[in-house]
Amino acid sequence: MRKVFDAEYELQMRDVVGLQISNRISGDVSILDLRGRSTIDGDESELLSDQLQKLVANGVRKLLLNLADLTQVDSSGVSIIVGSYVSLKRQGGDLKLLCPTGLVLEVLTVLHLLEIIPSFQDEAEALASFRPPGYSAMS
Amino acid sequence: MTTPCSSAVAPTAEKTALLVASGGEIDELLTNVLASEGWSIQRVADNQQLLALARAKPFDLIVTGRETRVAEDVELLRKIRGARPHVRLIILTDKFTPGDVISAMREGAFSYFSAPFDASELAEMVRAAMAEPCWDDGIEVLFGTPEWVSLTARCDLATADRLVQFLHGVRDPSIPEAEKDHVIFAFKEILINAMEHGGHFDPSQHVEISFIRARRAITCRVKDPGKGFSLEELRHAAAGSSPDDLFSHARIRDERGMRPGGFGILLAKKLVDELIYNENGNEVVLVKYLNPPESPIAQR
Repeated sequence: MRKVFDAEYELQMRDVVGLQISNRISGDVSILDLRGRSTIDGDESELLSDQLQKLVANGVRKLLLNLADLTQVDSSGVSIIVGSYVSLKRQGGDLKLLCPTGLVLEVLTVLHLLEIIPSFQDEAEALASFRPPGYSAMS
Repeated sequence: MTTPCSSAVAPTAEKTALLVASGGEIDELLTNVLASEGWSIQRVADNQQLLALARAKPFDLIVTGRETRVAEDVELLRKIRGARPHVRLIILTDKFTPGDVISAMREGAFSYFSAPFDASELAEMVRAAMAEPCWDDGIEVLFGTPEWVSLTARCDLATADRLVQFLHGVRDPSIPEAEKDHVIFAFKEILINAMEHGGHFDPSQHVEISFIRARRAITCRVKDPGKGFSLEELRHAAAGSSPDDLFSHARIRDERGMRPGGFGILLAKKLVDELIYNENGNEVVLVKYLNPPESPIAQR
């Protein structure tokens, strides 16, 4: 949620960031937690692009982008997500989205991208979707 | 029109900011952002004290308090600029009228935030003000009323950001915020395309812009200094892709080694009602229709 100054001057400094990216691993899936915005203005999109390229160059083929705390995205941010999706697909990998909300969800929706790039609201469900059909954790 | 960066002023050795106290979280935000970059901060209680100090010595950045009316802040800016023509001043305000944004731009405010505003946007604008070596020839208002504004903007991202923030500062109760956000979003995409592809981000080049607020529509016109393009030739843009294969342009860009991109025009098309290019492709008009207000007769 974007933090606004209105009648109640509530502020949390953690919201005052360009883009923060943190990386987690779950099995063979890399999860990128994005916080802030991915726009052309402050080189945030370039930061995201660099991070994704490094991961792919290091052999990561299954990527889950957690967009729950991504507050803004513009065409540069969208393009990086799509570019990474296309690039990973060409290399036999996959990229999926987790919890897009607000303006980010609106942008992805008007561009019909969610009809192509799988998107999930639940992380466990998203991670399970990377596993081959018939896979069981017990097997 | 001024030459690019002609008015850049040599920064003082120690970066100093002069702030009118707004209270609470805003002061905390500004302190955190400025202190993190090693700036020294001086606070005053009101515009009168601010003017006296600003005339006495130079400051690298001035931020007004939100309690004063914009007209007072613009008058303050005019007086300061009499002594310090290149001062960077950001207006924060709770008290504004529809024409205030134009006055602030015309008088050369660095930026303008009318409540409610976004904390991260303010922080980013303060950082931009701290970093921008030259700025005050970036936006030139040619003429302006609340209904029709024409201006030029220098072809660089920092100027685009400043202009977009001025637009966010426009408060018109007859325009729903969501509709306004869509127009600004679409405008920004088109503006950056114009600056990048028409002006090659060359700060000696300028984009011509007009905004017209009609009773039932908002229109924006953007004319870039380039030779133009044809949408049909844009195979590396989503707008030129087949509707059945939205990602064909992304594959072409990948094969050509181009940076990720190409969604700007398509995104703008989706967010406004009409996007009309001239024959050369270097001038475009965005139109967003507004729902007409209910007539008094219909309300009975």
